[in-house]
Amino acid sequence: MLPARKIMAAGFATLVFVCGSGVALAANKPSKPMPEVSDELLEQGRAIYFRRCSFCHGLLGDGEGPAAKYLDPRPRDFTLGTFKFRTTQSGELPTNEDLFRTVSRGLPGTAMQSFDSDLIKNGLSEDERWSVIAYIKTFAPEFDDPDLDPVKTGKVLSLPANRAPHNAETIARGKIVFEKAKCWSCHGKLGRGDGNKEFRKDDWGFPIRIRNVTHPWKIKAGSEVEDIYMRFTSGISGTPMPSFIKTLNEEDRWNLANYIKSLQHTLSSHQALKAMPVDGALPENPRDAAWDTAEPMDIRLAGQVIATPRWQNPSIEMVTVRALFNDEDIAFRLTWDDPFKDVTHDEAKEFEPVEIAKVGAFNSYVEANGMVSRALETFRDSIALQFPVKPPQGTKKPHFYRGSSSDQVHLWVWKADLDAVGKRGSEEGNARGWKQPIKPQSEDGQQITGKAEWDQGRWTVVMKRPLKTDDKNDVQFKKGVFTPMSVNAWDGSNGEHGLIMSLSTWQYVILEAPTPINVYVYAILAFLIAGGLGIWLMRKVENEVESVEPDV
Amino acid sequence: MKKLKIGSFLSVVITLLIVYSLVKWGIPAVSREVTTLPFPLPVPGTLMFFYMVLTLVALFLMVTFSEEGLEDFLRPVKKFLRGGYGKIPRAVIMLAIPLLAGWQAYEITVPKVEAPAALRIQHPSSNFPKSFEAKKNPFANPTDADIDAFVEQAKANEVEFIPQVQEDIDRWSEEVDPEHILEFFPVAPMKALLAQLESGTVDEETAKAALLEKNLFEGRALYAMNCRACHGDSVAGDGPMADGFKLRPINFTDNGTVETIVEGYTFWRVTNGGPGLPTEATPWDSAMPEWKLSLTEAERWKIILAEYDMAQKTPRIPEAH
Repeated sequence: MLPARKIMAAGFATLVFVCGSGVALAANKPSKPMPEVSDELLEQGRAIYFRRCSFCHGLLGDGEGPAAKYLDPRPRDFTLGTFKFRTTQSGELPTNEDLFRTVSRGLPGTAMQSFDSDLIKNGLSEDERWSVIAYIKTFAPEFDDPDLDPVKTGKVLSLPANRAPHNAETIARGKIVFEKAKCWSCHGKLGRGDGNKEFRKDDWGFPIRIRNVTHPWKIKAGSEVEDIYMRFTSGISGTPMPSFIKTLNEEDRWNLANYIKSLQHTLSSHQALKAMPVDGALPENPRDAAWDTAEPMDIRLAGQVIATPRWQNPSIEMVTVRALFNDEDIAFRLTWDDPFKDVTHDEAKEFEPVEIAKVGAFNSYVEANGMVSRALETFRDSIALQFPVKPPQGTKKPHFYRGSSSDQVHLWVWKADLDAVGKRGSEEGNARGWKQPIKPQSEDGQQITGKAEWDQGRWTVVMKRPLKTDDKNDVQFKKGVFTPMSVNAWDGSNGEHGLIMSLSTWQYVILEAPTPINVYVYAILAFLIAGGLGIWLMRKVENEVESVEPDV
Repeated sequence: MKKLKIGSFLSVVITLLIVYSLVKWGIPAVSREVTTLPFPLPVPGTLMFFYMVLTLVALFLMVTFSEEGLEDFLRPVKKFLRGGYGKIPRAVIMLAIPLLAGWQAYEITVPKVEAPAALRIQHPSSNFPKSFEAKKNPFANPTDADIDAFVEQAKANEVEFIPQVQEDIDRWSEEVDPEHILEFFPVAPMKALLAQLESGTVDEETAKAALLEKNLFEGRALYAMNCRACHGDSVAGDGPMADGFKLRPINFTDNGTVETIVEGYTFWRVTNGGPGLPTEATPWDSAMPEWKLSLTEAERWKIILAEYDMAQKTPRIPEAH
């Protein structure tokens, strides 16, 4: 029996592996090299480029299409021949396969998406992708120069022949390389992109967001060990990210890639936040050990693109929430990554969306650069928890974007600038839709306490409040009831304030009710009945033996 | 050589295990091969229960078919109960079975933390205004006057575009210095129109097809500026913002989305967004904007034209009333 099951399990595992790796490979590598460039191929590529690429990259390939101004990172300017993601030496042109990889799988965390017809229904076939790549290459004269061809000149990089496995040992060695090569001076000691104390600009003049390497969904050119290895081997052209090919040997780079891979966060998958019961007082300090007992829930956020001013370049894309409660109070602890601690707020610099708020205005989105100040010491960092005021009936709730005129929401808004000067950091308010600002509650109604901390590119904020209040505009918490909850977040140095923010849709928080006593009664009853039956059978068989045996 | 003989008790146990494994892992594994989907199709719990009950009934019939059969089956059981396989294994198993029963009872009765599931009607009609049902996309079916106006503009080489694309066209025009502004369209209908303009006679069909290309171009640009962030440039509901929403943006390339509704309905959804949905469609979870607050009717129709085109779908034709 055992071997048969083993064989089946092994067979199934092989099936999963083969199918899984097949999908991964489809997007990465072409089945054949780029075809010979011909007029037909270029004309086919031009038509595809016109339909699928020109709105971001522009009719001239200069990265200035109609949608470009609203995007960060900006669409690539093909006319310069500078490409970030290559498998060639620093400063060289990319190979055809490099361009194929980018077109096929896209760049996660940017507007550049996958165009592989195996991955999306209206994607491009391999031949179509090759034709559009052939056309894109006509924008930069560098591609016509055989002396600059990385293949002919032998400037193509390859992965190491001996690749150490991804295990605790290689990760530990990689950590030493991380220290030695001073990766932390930009990426931060914990890889959260918080090493620099100011913004730097790339070769195109746009502010650089240093990669937080712990968020794999934002790693543009792939989050696997091979991809990471290639990034610090080739460097990223046009940015301060250098090539480490001369300073680190192959093994060091591979170990470093293993270490970076080990920093990647795995998202929690549960749908409801379980608040854990605590005996005694709830912690107000973000570092209190009591928080370790609470189950964390990761909440994904998107840019506020629902109403003017729309914002598609949010900085905060995940907030991790934990909750604890006792008989009187409930406390939430929110953590999120933010490379800069922004604790000042200049109201005079706030964006007035009057011009873009009209019907038929040019565009209702906020431009990535220019309209709002994305600089240090301008706007505060802030976070808000949102709850419905009315207890939910069935699944009915207010709209997740600040409710509506008939169905109000309760917000707990924490502001870094208030916290920094020793004032009460969290303010309770109500909203009836996004058209009016959040209305703060009266001074007597303010009941949230808690502390906040910014450390190594991460905010941790605690908000504590009584479970029940006398205010009819407040959310009330009851044990065993699923209370809807959502998050609004602002990164001040990313220009975020007002409705220029990131937000989540509704999640749930539940205060664990104690297990009813009858559950244990049923379990004990089942145990006793099964046990009793067993003993009865045993006795019966033994008696049978005694009565039967003399005859044998 | 002694022939290996499996007792009837052991064969019952083995049969049960084989049937269970087949249903639990075998069918899902085969389903992947058959459907070529990237995930297995699991067998529903009720069906699993049904299969196991059938197997048990069959095994019961087999065992109780004859007195000897039953004897044969019960012999190892009785031997075990008598302690014939050792007292310690007997004690362990006799304790394990009631423990398992107690644990099962606990599992079934303990309250589970599961978020309330919302049933959602994707295409609700309870508040869909009749006036929208017969609405036609004016850019998919231009009037003769529209076509004539476009031909006049093309003849004068002064084609008007929406302001959103004008800047890009101007830069192209400055760089390329074309004979005719419409040359940036690398598509057959526009090339045909340009050839006819050269020859002096323009027929209505060619002009109509070319005008459609112009409207699609503008629609795609508006889509890229307004809708792409969520619905993606793939129109597959996988834009950069998509992962942030519990209710994922609709994938227009999916069968059963935009092609199952009339274009008037699409226009209504774009116009009134999430807040315009009735309760059965959970408006509180929808991130779809009320585009009437930002986009003109013409802009919304052009986007819808491009959306269907990019998804390679056609809207449902309204029934005649």
